[in-house]
Amino acid sequence: MTASTLTPRHIASRTAVALLGGYAFTWGIVALGVAGLYAAGMEFHDAEHLSYIIGLLVFLTAFLVAFATRALGRTALVLVGGGALMSAVAWWLQSLLV
Amino acid sequence: MFPNFRHSMAWLHTWFGLALGMVLMVVFFFGTLSVFDREIDRWAIPDTRYEPQPMPSFDKMLRPIFEDMQPDAAARAMTAPLVDGPLPAHFDTPRSWGAYTTHRDPVLLLFAGYEVPGAKDHETAIWANRTVDPRSGVALPTDRLKVGSEFFYPLHYSLTLDWKNVGYWIVGFSALMMLMALVTGVIMHRKIFRELFTFRPKKNTQRSMLDLHNLTGVAALPFHFFFAFTGLVIFAYIYFPVTHTQLTPLHDHHEMMEAKETGLPHDRAGVPAPLASVDAMVLEAQRRWAAKGMAGDVGYLNLTHVGDANGYVSVYRAGTDRVQLAGEGIHFKASTGELLREDPPPTVVARINEFLTGLHLQHFKHWLLRWFYVLGGLAGCACIATGLFFFVEKRKRQHAKAGTSGARVVDALAVTVVTGMLVATLCMLIANRLLPDTMPDGWAPRGLMEKYFFWGAWVVAGLHAWLRTAQVAEGRLAPAWREQCLAIAALAVAAPVLNWITTGDHLLRTIGSGYWPVAGADLFMLTGAVLAALAARRLQRKARSPVAVKNPALEAGHA
Repeated sequence: MTASTLTPRHIASRTAVALLGGYAFTWGIVALGVAGLYAAGMEFHDAEHLSYIIGLLVFLTAFLVAFATRALGRTALVLVGGGALMSAVAWWLQSLLV
Repeated sequence: MFPNFRHSMAWLHTWFGLALGMVLMVVFFFGTLSVFDREIDRWAIPDTRYEPQPMPSFDKMLRPIFEDMQPDAAARAMTAPLVDGPLPAHFDTPRSWGAYTTHRDPVLLLFAGYEVPGAKDHETAIWANRTVDPRSGVALPTDRLKVGSEFFYPLHYSLTLDWKNVGYWIVGFSALMMLMALVTGVIMHRKIFRELFTFRPKKNTQRSMLDLHNLTGVAALPFHFFFAFTGLVIFAYIYFPVTHTQLTPLHDHHEMMEAKETGLPHDRAGVPAPLASVDAMVLEAQRRWAAKGMAGDVGYLNLTHVGDANGYVSVYRAGTDRVQLAGEGIHFKASTGELLREDPPPTVVARINEFLTGLHLQHFKHWLLRWFYVLGGLAGCACIATGLFFFVEKRKRQHAKAGTSGARVVDALAVTVVTGMLVATLCMLIANRLLPDTMPDGWAPRGLMEKYFFWGAWVVAGLHAWLRTAQVAEGRLAPAWREQCLAIAALAVAAPVLNWITTGDHLLRTIGSGYWPVAGADLFMLTGAVLAALAARRLQRKARSPVAVKNPALEAGHA
């Protein structure tokens, strides 16, 4: 590899952000998608399928961004924080619906 | 830190591609074989070599069979930990009975799910399966393995590692990495159109491997992306079980609402009820499909809450004439045969989802398209394999100089997953033809023995790969490749010959009578034998020719 600064630690942290951050963010998208679309009147399984389709494309994007970004810390914050926030909103929506 | 964007993408492509490429190879290859899984079943179970049959009479044939079905020891062992206290000797409350067939299946698969008394989760069910000859109702012996649909097919999405679904997760992550490799591959190359017309087999191995990697990747790019993506969508409920964890209340709420809306009871009433004629319901369903201008056969028959006043019968149409899996389900009250509900036309999202998953699962009847799937799948295998070759070719001389063994390790693994996998597959089919009809006492059942041969042969191929790749550490071509190609050529001739000897179905007979499931499998293997022999010859010539000294500069971006 050309870059001398490509340390195992660097790789490990990027991989962790890409995987765990990407997963958390996607979870949030799916949860919010299901709850939000269902609340908006979409059929439950339709909301589920559409959220999965969008969520998986988001996961791919998040994974790539985690490796491309210069600001890894901020990316991690957005992915994990965003995922948690969306999940929380999904919870709140669920409490209104059920 | 990566120096720039393209470097980071190239790094991802190289290293995650390498790490998961081995898994992807298995997924793509057995996914490709799964296009013809039912045909491979016929090859492996000669007793079932007859034409596909329509759904037989439920009242006369299937009902007594269902009433007789009980979970086997394996199902009991899987369910035991989910229950407080011991399992009952006999399961008495069937939750559902199902019968499933396809236009390529001569045999009929039946499954019965039972309530489990004392289960920690009240939704737990225990299942019993049986495969029958729909002409007579006679059960297929339980020691027979449907090599295509029960082994190669699950291998491609779960690696058959069922413990905690770990295989599904490995394959799911690999599929995500396939998508990543496709996107990063495009970013690395940019001159995508040119790749379609670039293959220089006469150049050095490294160059021609890269050409082939790019060519097979780009030519089938939409295919690769589509299959990796839809594979993820199909199992997304495992990877993101949102509606069965965080949103369980919402899910249950929806189910109750749905039951109210559709009139299909969610739970048993607890009042026993008789079962009206299911055959009459099937006839009525077919009449209704015909009235809608889509006359068709029954693909799937399901009885819910069997024996209860809330019981209902669902009849689904075989979706062989369309891509989507839409079944146009029609539901009847089990005790009276009264129509409860006709599924409404699918919504836009449902159509999209059914199209995506349907195109992956291909229940439709279109042989040319099936063969395109095989070609696309093999292109995927070629793309992954050449990626591994390129990795080794690019590094082996550097590594040889530096005295490190990285390239050798990767080459040994590549031999194991590329040719070793074919050796294992063929050994399994050969074992299938050579094992005694029933295994003697004290041995594993026949189907399990076939699996042992598969894994055993793969381990042996892996050991051979390791022993015969030492030359890579000296910057030379590993003899393991040529030797395993020769093994494939021999085994791929042996399997069709053994099929002939043990069943009498030689190619002249199967082609003459137009029995393509077996003729196709034989021809596929024989074609593979020819290609493997040619590859072995080429590799031998290559091994004799002097090692190229010049290492031409390759495209920027290749890490």
